[in-house]
Amino acid sequence: MSSNFPKSCPELGIEVPISEIELELRKLWEQDEARTNASLMNLAVYSEKPGSLLENSRIINSLTRDNACRAILVEINREEPASLRAWITAHCHLAQGQKSVCCEQISFRLTGRVTGRFRNTVFSHLNSDLPLVFWWQGELSEVFTERLASVIDRLIIDSSLWSQPQISFARILEALKANPSLVVQDLAWTRCWQFRVGIASLFDDTVAQSALEGIDQVRIKHSPSHCNTALQIMAWLAVQAGWKHQGNLTFESKTGLKIHAQIESCGDSAPLGMVELSSGKVNVRVSHEKNSVHLLREIEAGDYHVTSLSPADPEASPDLVAQQLSRGGKNSLFIKILPMFLDLLK
Amino acid sequence: MSNPFREDLVSRNRPEPCTVVIFGATGDLTHRKLIPALYNLAVDGELPTGVNIIGFARREKADEEFRKGLEELNRKVSRNGHDEEVWNPFIHSVTYHQSEFSDDAGYASLAKRLDEIDAERGGKGNRLFYIASAPEFFDDILLHLKKAGLNEAKPGCWARVIVEKPFGTDLKTAQHLNHVVNQTFNESDTYRIDHYLGKETAQNLMVLRFANAIFEPLWNSKYISHIQITCAENLGMEGGRGGYYEKSGALRDMVQNHLLQLLSLVAMEPPTDLSADGVRDEKVKVIRSLRQWDTPEKVAENVVRAQYTAGHVDGNPVPGYREEDRVSASSETEAYVAVRLLIDTWRWSGVPFYIRMGKRLPKKSTEISVHFKDAPSVLFGALPGGVPGGNVLVIRIQPDEGISLRMVSKIPGTSLRLEPVKMDFHYATSFGKGSPEAYERLILDAMAGDATLFARRDEVEEAWRFIDHIERAWHESDNKPPMAEFVAGSWGPREADEMIQKDGNAWRRL
Repeated sequence: MSSNFPKSCPELGIEVPISEIELELRKLWEQDEARTNASLMNLAVYSEKPGSLLENSRIINSLTRDNACRAILVEINREEPASLRAWITAHCHLAQGQKSVCCEQISFRLTGRVTGRFRNTVFSHLNSDLPLVFWWQGELSEVFTERLASVIDRLIIDSSLWSQPQISFARILEALKANPSLVVQDLAWTRCWQFRVGIASLFDDTVAQSALEGIDQVRIKHSPSHCNTALQIMAWLAVQAGWKHQGNLTFESKTGLKIHAQIESCGDSAPLGMVELSSGKVNVRVSHEKNSVHLLREIEAGDYHVTSLSPADPEASPDLVAQQLSRGGKNSLFIKILPMFLDLLK
Repeated sequence: MSNPFREDLVSRNRPEPCTVVIFGATGDLTHRKLIPALYNLAVDGELPTGVNIIGFARREKADEEFRKGLEELNRKVSRNGHDEEVWNPFIHSVTYHQSEFSDDAGYASLAKRLDEIDAERGGKGNRLFYIASAPEFFDDILLHLKKAGLNEAKPGCWARVIVEKPFGTDLKTAQHLNHVVNQTFNESDTYRIDHYLGKETAQNLMVLRFANAIFEPLWNSKYISHIQITCAENLGMEGGRGGYYEKSGALRDMVQNHLLQLLSLVAMEPPTDLSADGVRDEKVKVIRSLRQWDTPEKVAENVVRAQYTAGHVDGNPVPGYREEDRVSASSETEAYVAVRLLIDTWRWSGVPFYIRMGKRLPKKSTEISVHFKDAPSVLFGALPGGVPGGNVLVIRIQPDEGISLRMVSKIPGTSLRLEPVKMDFHYATSFGKGSPEAYERLILDAMAGDATLFARRDEVEEAWRFIDHIERAWHESDNKPPMAEFVAGSWGPREADEMIQKDGNAWRRL
């Protein structure tokens, strides 16, 4: 199969021989003394989607405004004859309107059988001592191995794009077993961050808090492609409140109360459209109108009605990654809810 | 009952829903800092659901007029811009309460209003009283809060007070204020705000020292030659500031609170834990260990005060201090102060600390610089030019928050020549996003009951004890140390240079 990839690709910068990448990068910096090279991490972006290099280069340009990094972009096409091409460039932004701060980007396009070459290509161009954040776009393929996972500090995935999440999560669990310090960040989980903050905030209210033990219904609304986010927030509710899953989205509370959950897919919903917890008298709800930049937090208990707005989670993957990078952390809560989520996935 | 959904969510204490009562609500601080801080917390989704705000002040105003004034300023100064969709519900939680600060009826009606809000909120009655009025009203406000029973929290709730600086004007008035505060609120419910402690770099000081293994072993008299803390301002007495400044001066306005707080963070021992008292116990030990300049002679030797004469700042001519608006022509108030301090502890024995603060200096900058001792000169001392200075670690507080380290390096080439080079870390460059305003962090901490970044009673009083000796020598002794002069736009008086030179050191050029 012949390549459709253009011979010249100015958006990716200068095409350089693989063996001279570091040398050419140094030359790039020597051209202008006024620039500051900033880097807090190595950010590798992996994709098997044709044409992803250009798209990801644009994303990196935006991400580096707030997250200084050495970006390593990789596009793989295993159908084409074996080849390896590389480009270097820098994304520069004005910091506080004064100094031009730049982040390096190295782009690789690998074709043919790639597994061994891929690892070597990425690892030989990492900025030493800085953590490796690895953003895996799309399905987890055979390229994702334990060996690869063992050198990653933070793995960013988006399980909402997976056709067989159970199989892929099983591989993630194996990777975690091999590298317990690996931090896994699922963008499907990041998508419900503000919902979780909202629910936690509402249950600070004494009225909601006193109704917690009586919660017997949970309703979650989501868009068709974000079922994993809905299941993850359900798992979070259950784990945090100490509810046991008894199958078919029925749970039992610590006091033996049955809780029925209803997870509804709606075409016109935001990725996560609503989470509502109800006892007989009190409804606690966080909702998100499609395309709105705000979430609505509500408590209803007879005449008592409290509402407030809070920021909505971004929807696009690059924005979620930016949020994730600025937040950092060990993401231990995700690991805590993972078994329950996998149980619900069944 | 605990909230299980809070667990593991964020690594900070949980701010709780409450009603915030701001005394001095028509003032500049409320309009420029407090309301924008609360609004920005709402924008970020950090403000607990159901927070209500009551502005308490003396002027006649309707709710709408009060809100309109807040909106005008918020549009100008808010860090996150002004989003109507967030502002509208936020501002509807803000109401105005007109009363004199000494009017019993005003507090009785405030209590009634708070009860009504509590009833609407289903019984939750947390209250945060923010005293942002002029200091002469502090006593009245606190005593009336007590008289109206507003200092007493309902069962399961809390009542806290945030007090703005100045915490007194000397030890006696500070003790009096603390006495009045503590007669009204428990010390654990008292939050003395020092916004310097809410700044990101100030918070990072402990992280830098205690989370990096390379610094702490060097952080003592064996390796450190001296430490400088500089707070330079290029502004003078614009906007009628002279009236306030004449009563305080540089020493009381900045050194007693902000700069001694920074000093205590730089010099303290590692706390046993990160609890508020764990940290503050160590901070107060530093202030308590300051050698006291308790005679006019010691003050003359270790402290320099000065006023600026007419000069140029940013290329514009500026008047001398005594010619400034609302400043007396025979003023004895210092617009510049430099202090040499010694901390009598094992760690800091023989290490001088220098603090300088001045108005009308060439630029605005606050920083701490840690000057390390020179390496032994046996190897490179004989080179032409020798070794160019020692290592300096600089922690910049404002404006460009960050950290830099100066090292000595060989200049590339066939000959051996050494020059200093700088490794620089800028918050803005590395982390991009702007940090929250100091007030945002501090208000949230008060709602969460975390007093780590607030000054405790003993810290304030120990700081005043040190400052009072100097003030007495300047204003009450028979042989008052002289008032020095410097030209506006220069780096302070010659006398301050001479003071530091006596130790063989020099002020850092900023």
